[in-house]
Amino acid sequence: MLLFTGFAGGLAVGCGFVAFLSVLGIIPRLMQLTKTIKWIRLYEWAVILGAVSGGWFSLSPVYLHASHYWFIPIGLLYGIFVGMLAAALTEVLNVFPILAKRIGIDDKIVMLMMAIVLGKICGSLFHWLYFAGL
Amino acid sequence: MNKTVYVRLKHRIQAKPNERITLNKIAKIIADEALISKMGDQIIHQIQSKDKTYVVIDVINVIEKIQSIDPSLDVQPVGPTQTIVEIQNHRKKFAPVLFFLVWLLLFVGSALTIMNFHEDVSMQRMHRNLYQFFTGNKIDKPLILQIPYSIGLGLGMVLFFNHVFKKKFNEEPSPLEVEIFNYQMDLDQYIAINENKESVKNDDD
Repeated sequence: MLLFTGFAGGLAVGCGFVAFLSVLGIIPRLMQLTKTIKWIRLYEWAVILGAVSGGWFSLSPVYLHASHYWFIPIGLLYGIFVGMLAAALTEVLNVFPILAKRIGIDDKIVMLMMAIVLGKICGSLFHWLYFAGL
Repeated sequence: MNKTVYVRLKHRIQAKPNERITLNKIAKIIADEALISKMGDQIIHQIQSKDKTYVVIDVINVIEKIQSIDPSLDVQPVGPTQTIVEIQNHRKKFAPVLFFLVWLLLFVGSALTIMNFHEDVSMQRMHRNLYQFFTGNKIDKPLILQIPYSIGLGLGMVLFFNHVFKKKFNEEPSPLEVEIFNYQMDLDQYIAINENKESVKNDDD
């Protein structure tokens, strides 16, 4: 009974996760940027393996005792992924085209985008450096 | 003399107020040399102040005009069935103050949104656990993870919109450009149908 409940729960969460990723279209975007559409199967496996190992590690009390410098590349990759998620979400909501049309600044759209990017970086840094300690 | 005239309307053109729109301006015509020079200067539409921002010229008006020159001509329309004429009467000037306000809005808004998001998903606690998982030590502020994370956040967004690395990677349009194009096409489609006198019955006409 517990086995079945756990399996069903995992199935639902896994489906939701993959559906979310495919709606945002991050993987196609990365493939388009790097021109590696032929490796789509391997990318699928990267997502699956990542999700499964993340799930496993977060539930088991293992410590790796690795150097904390590993966090620099990990943090960077982590941030890029979340950044792409955020960018894709903004894009789904169609904010930019409408905004640009309304105030008539089609050519300055890169600067508006940089406002969001810088805002994200500053907000995040502020949060970790000061706000989280309050 | 060849009696066939091929007409291809342009999708969208821009015009000044009170401009006379000639056939040459809205369409590419393939026909007999003598015919082209005769037809090209024909006025299809005279822009008036009541036209406001957009005028749609339907292909049927163009055919009508051409056949009024010589009814025996065989007009073959190719491509779009209407041209959208955008009248640039009150060209919006770039307002630095407005732009700065929007910039500030986006900047502050996205900064607060990301902070909300971090709190919402308890990211601080997650980072502490992650730090403990990798190193075995417990610390309060795993900044060595969080600072690269913050930089990566911006990098990921730039990467997604493909502006900085555009020249380096490829010439494909960024999702943003595609999105703006789609939005413009939707607008054009709306205008083409709603401002077109041939497809909408207007009581005040």
